[in-house]
Amino acid sequence: MKNKGIVIFLIILSLIIVGVVVLDYNASKPGMQPANPYEFNVDPFSKIDSALIRYKESRNLALNFSEPTGISFRGNQLFVVGDQKMQIIEPAGKLMKEVSFDQKPTCVYASTDEIFVGFQKSIAVLNRDGVKIADWNSFSDSTVITSIAEQSGTVFVADAGKRIVRKFNLGGKPQGEIVGKSGNDQIHGFIIPSPYFDLAFNMDGELWVVNPGKHSLENYTVDGKLRTWWQASSIKIEGFSGCCNPAHFAFLPDGSFVTSEKGMIRIKTYKPSGEFEGVVAAPSKFAEDGHAPDLAVDNQGNIYALDSDKKMLRLFVKK
Amino acid sequence: MENNHKKSRRDFIRSGTRLSLLITLGAVGGLAAKHVTAEKYVWQIDPFKCTQCGRCATSCVMTPSAAKCIHAYDLCGYCDLCGGYLKPDANQLSTAAENQLCPTAAIQRKYIEEPYFEYVINEDLCIGCAKCVKGCTSFGNGSLHLQIIHRICLNCNECSIARLCPSQAISRVKASKSYNVKGSFTKDGKV
Repeated sequence: MKNKGIVIFLIILSLIIVGVVVLDYNASKPGMQPANPYEFNVDPFSKIDSALIRYKESRNLALNFSEPTGISFRGNQLFVVGDQKMQIIEPAGKLMKEVSFDQKPTCVYASTDEIFVGFQKSIAVLNRDGVKIADWNSFSDSTVITSIAEQSGTVFVADAGKRIVRKFNLGGKPQGEIVGKSGNDQIHGFIIPSPYFDLAFNMDGELWVVNPGKHSLENYTVDGKLRTWWQASSIKIEGFSGCCNPAHFAFLPDGSFVTSEKGMIRIKTYKPSGEFEGVVAAPSKFAEDGHAPDLAVDNQGNIYALDSDKKMLRLFVKK
Repeated sequence: MENNHKKSRRDFIRSGTRLSLLITLGAVGGLAAKHVTAEKYVWQIDPFKCTQCGRCATSCVMTPSAAKCIHAYDLCGYCDLCGGYLKPDANQLSTAAENQLCPTAAIQRKYIEEPYFEYVINEDLCIGCAKCVKGCTSFGNGSLHLQIIHRICLNCNECSIARLCPSQAISRVKASKSYNVKGSFTKDGKV
């Protein structure tokens, strides 16, 4: 009788031990733990009201690049750079031409007659057939070229390393710099915390430059005088978030802005006045911690986004 | 002849015993030498695998955690609007407590020149919650990241953070390369 009691006691004890071990094992599995008081959940910021999304993704072009870096659109042709090459592609996806370089391009701009391919510290000028006609190498050691645009024979080059916009004539001769200071304390020059510094001309021939550290887009005369600017600094969808945004922008045919942000990647449109208009692509469309897509717009207002994480050219058309 | 055979067997057993002892001694000596000369391993976080879940603050056997935020200054933009320092919906870009993301005010914001600021981690105050790392990774350049500080870490046989880490970002690394600091440590793990 006494032995029977001991056996029952040992069985119960064994069951309790097994139960505790199983519970502890399950409780320590990832996903089974109680809520963490220190978790900083940024997911709510990336959720977008579907009513704000005014574009739909209509087509993707897979790119033969391991690291595409820049895109431009001109004359119904797409110019894509990356790796050590440039490809000229028809909007339907047909490869027209491929040009090789001995270093990695950072950006590209196609004007009516020339193609300007930017590298970190130099620019290659090609004719529209892809034949190199000049090399511009008169840059400083700390130069990081991130964007190029041309207007009326003057080429504007965004230098993120020196935090200035350089001006050249079509022969590559320096024509001065734009430092982005207005002369009062409101604007501190270009603040470039990371190598994202974009510029573009709108349909009226006005030069717009991103001041990413201020979350602003600034309009300068070609002489470098600040004419106007607008700013949208907010984690909310209406603004630009993080340290330095927008990373890229382009103009729609009606003068509206299309912007692309890094960090929490989102593509949005703003009216010419700077007022938030709508969303082109929500963060869920892109890789988490991915790269901000470079943008190009065709004559119909369709938006091409260069997704360097998925190595795709993604076309967004208005709903 | 028979006597010789009996002696030989005794000798065989004796020499066999000696040989066994010698082998055992050699093996023990070899293992001891290997233990002394072999490189030690320590626990460390791969900052590119880390998802900033916040478990490092609560799972480490040390209080506060041996995992701390460190700053790769060469990657930092020295921004006024720092995603690692300020709450996303901060009222102002200021040092007011209500605007700070860090629950222990372990990040010191130092003015450098208009409009640039340096962000310095106070290791004594940092609890390794990775809120700032999440903010910096999501909205900034990703210069803030977690590392296990080895003068605090007990180097447990089974790291309690590694056991719970949802992204398996913590692993044993050679003691000679005990830190995976961003900048010198790249995404593919190469230094």
